[in-house]
Amino acid sequence: MNMLPGPAQAAAIGLSIAFPLLLLCYARIAATGGSGRRFRLGCVSIIALYAIACIALPGQRHLDDVLGGLLLLGTALMLCYILFSLLAWGFTLTLLTALVQAERPLTLEQWAEAYMQGGDLGAFTHNRLKLLVGAGMVIAAGNRLAPTAKGVAVAHLVKLVRLSTGLG
Amino acid sequence: MSFAVGLVAVVVFALLAPALQLTARARAWSFGPVTLLAIAAVVSHGLGVTLGIFVVPQFQYWDAASIFGFCVMAYVFAFGAVYKSVSLDILLGLVDRPGRRAPLSEIAETQVPGLFQGRIGNLVDGGLVEPVGSHFVATAAGRTMAGHVGRLRRAFGIGDTSLYDFSD
Repeated sequence: MNMLPGPAQAAAIGLSIAFPLLLLCYARIAATGGSGRRFRLGCVSIIALYAIACIALPGQRHLDDVLGGLLLLGTALMLCYILFSLLAWGFTLTLLTALVQAERPLTLEQWAEAYMQGGDLGAFTHNRLKLLVGAGMVIAAGNRLAPTAKGVAVAHLVKLVRLSTGLG
Repeated sequence: MSFAVGLVAVVVFALLAPALQLTARARAWSFGPVTLLAIAAVVSHGLGVTLGIFVVPQFQYWDAASIFGFCVMAYVFAFGAVYKSVSLDILLGLVDRPGRRAPLSEIAETQVPGLFQGRIGNLVDGGLVEPVGSHFVATAAGRTMAGHVGRLRRAFGIGDTSLYDFSD
């Protein structure tokens, strides 16, 4: 068994380790925008650096080495996105931090208010619905909501994924 | 050939992971879904490497690991997206209704508060929050976790609202 990665794979492993450090650096540059945009910028930067590494590294490139490196990089980007999105958009985690920041026991209503930083759950509902409407999965007609054909297809896909992953 | 061994390990993972989730629910195991995914990944990766050592004369570990890591992370990504997404829960709630329509007020006043209470239940079950009469207070473990989350959010320049920023 050969445990040594090829040159491109080694570059991908190094860039995977550097990716969170790059996000930390971008967080200090205001021009990189909000968290979502900053993450996308980080992904583009890392992929560009990988392409440069594949060109600049000495020796002949082998397809399996380059492909393996790309897959390793993809793995790291997905793992980082899962953790980053939990921090940035995690509902349950933010509920916990809101309760701790309040520094006193809260009733359910007070907790909802603390979570929304003065707003209410209606504002939270609108925020999440804006995502569904923006993605073309739900349409709002007057005061009523209905899924589009795309929304129905996504809902069926979600059910299939839940079933096939054992979530029921 | 090493890539093929990685793919065999992916198939083992895709069969083992849901089987573990279903068994855990049926037998009321105390392991969480994420722990079960990690167990499935370690076991299937171990089996893949063992197979590679015995079947492939020049087994390239990183070729097999790259395709295995990528596919498993894509699985975890899909699992995480459908596991506890508020937006998708709202979409599924709409699709499952007779007539596939609902007033916005009903979602804001019934479904979302239900999701809110469900997440509070998760925090209580996880020992991060405890109910005190009609109030809720963070436990020592909850305060520690909130501290870690706050530090990470500050380091990565992430806000603490968990709301989507559509200007992003």
